[in-house]
Amino acid sequence: MKVALLSESPADEAVLRELVAAVLGGSPAWSAAGLRARGWPSVVQVLPAVIRHLHFNTDTDTLVVTADADDSVVHTAAHEAPGYFHPQCRLCQLRAVFRRTTRKLPPARGRNRVLRGVGVAVPALEAWLLCGRDATVGESAWIEGQSAGRAPYTRAELKWRVYGTDRPSLPYEIRRAVEEIRRHGRDTRRLEHDFPGFGVLARDLREDQAMLHGHPP
Amino acid sequence: MIASVDFKNFKALRATALQLAPFNLIIGANGSGKTSLIQAVERLHALARLPLATPGPARRAGGPRISFRFNSPFAAVEARLECVSEASCDLLQIRPAHAPEWPALQAQLGRIRSYQLDYGAMTAPAAPGASPDAPLSPSGANLAAVLAAWRDRHPAEFAALVAEVLRVLPEYSGLELVRGPAGIVTLGLRLGPGGDLVTADNLSQGTLALLAILALAHDPAPPAVLCIEEIDRGVHPRRLREVRDAFYRLSHPSASGLKRPAVQVIATTHSPYLLDLFRDHPEEIVIAQKQGRAARFERLADRADLAELLSEGSLGDMWYSGILGGVPDES
Ligand SMILES: [Zn+2]
Repeated sequence: MKVALLSESPADEAVLRELVAAVLGGSPAWSAAGLRARGWPSVVQVLPAVIRHLHFNTDTDTLVVTADADDSVVHTAAHEAPGYFHPQCRLCQLRAVFRRTTRKLPPARGRNRVLRGVGVAVPALEAWLLCGRDATVGESAWIEGQSAGRAPYTRAELKWRVYGTDRPSLPYEIRRAVEEIRRHGRDTRRLEHDFPGFGVLARDLREDQAMLHGHPP
Repeated sequence: MIASVDFKNFKALRATALQLAPFNLIIGANGSGKTSLIQAVERLHALARLPLATPGPARRAGGPRISFRFNSPFAAVEARLECVSEASCDLLQIRPAHAPEWPALQAQLGRIRSYQLDYGAMTAPAAPGASPDAPLSPSGANLAAVLAAWRDRHPAEFAALVAEVLRVLPEYSGLELVRGPAGIVTLGLRLGPGGDLVTADNLSQGTLALLAILALAHDPAPPAVLCIEEIDRGVHPRRLREVRDAFYRLSHPSASGLKRPAVQVIATTHSPYLLDLFRDHPEEIVIAQKQGRAARFERLADRADLAELLSEGSLGDMWYSGILGGVPDES
């Protein structure tokens, strides 16, 4: 399985590599390194071109893309209903871009389409890094806070909790982020449970893996 | 260090005040007052080295005037620059007139440095300075000589700088300084282990820019205030994070695990990509707004609709669109 990553920074990419390898039970082959988007909404703008490029010009099997939710609507089980699409949910939007873009593409390089691995970190990737270490951090806490009109923590606070500063240098940010994510080892069940925005990414990856091994779900 | 600057009739800055943070990134159209702010700070530095002016003949009423206030322990002192004309601000007065803090404040103002890096000048071999402790010159022209002096006199800081240069520019395996006749120093970067030495005249502008910026960030004797123009110039957009982090190392040393006083940084840029990196710190962004012939400063963090703006797109795109201001007039 050959995986490409579209991320916001080298630190995010390092975390995603760890997570993808954990879900797949070992490191996959990586497609040409370091596709970057400049945050939301730049990621949805650039995504169709990235998908087409990977489809026609590379032998990538799966494109993994994640975004931070920030204050947007959180993807919930209700959004998983067939045909449902929430226009303010970033996960629904990213999936819609995948659907629209891959539908129009003719087969290339012996495959019908580039497969999808889409996740959204609520509210930011640092929340995933705190999973299992800081019990107050999780998607349900965030959703409760949103409905009460009071966020339980801010992006800056999450950064402080992970890095001890909200101005970490890039190498320190990468080192700390990888350290935290490696706490989970190969077992991502807690992360999938506390962060359904990661759970859907893990499910995508397992389905992609099954599909490539000739066992479509 | 500098808490605020208040301008009256100084060039396009007719009447505007600006609170300064430890790190300040000024954006705005050409001619919107970004450089005037830096010139005012340079002027303060230059005049603070001279004996204070005694009030002489009355200045033209309504003439150019710039007032500086400072952070603790100098919060009680005001330094006021008065000008004969826009081009000539030659009178520095402090209030209260005999403030006991003045000698200490004066020493700090002597540690202001201002940069406008000139990559052409940096490519030439550098003669050693009159003093081995000479700082990087405003154009960066003496970079090679300064680094050679640090290698000899501050080996730990020099080693940290080299490690950082090689991390940020992984295509190189070493930074080399070759002393020639009369102590002239040539700087080069070694391509890969055992590869060719690329001397400064063959390095790209962006590589020289990163070298100079990383050198400023690792200066063994950093200034109190560092002004620098166009910090993005020549640097690949993906490496702008390294530029930001280098200046944060100066302005927020504790965030890098360093135990030394902070250096106040006043920088300018025209890069939307660099601006994108400040979404979590809008209080560090200053927008120089030009309206007709007058200009004023605004802090991005003071915008009432900031949270909404940040939820809708990147800061760089918002700036480019014009809704933040700080864009040129178009006919
Ligand atoms: Zn959704």
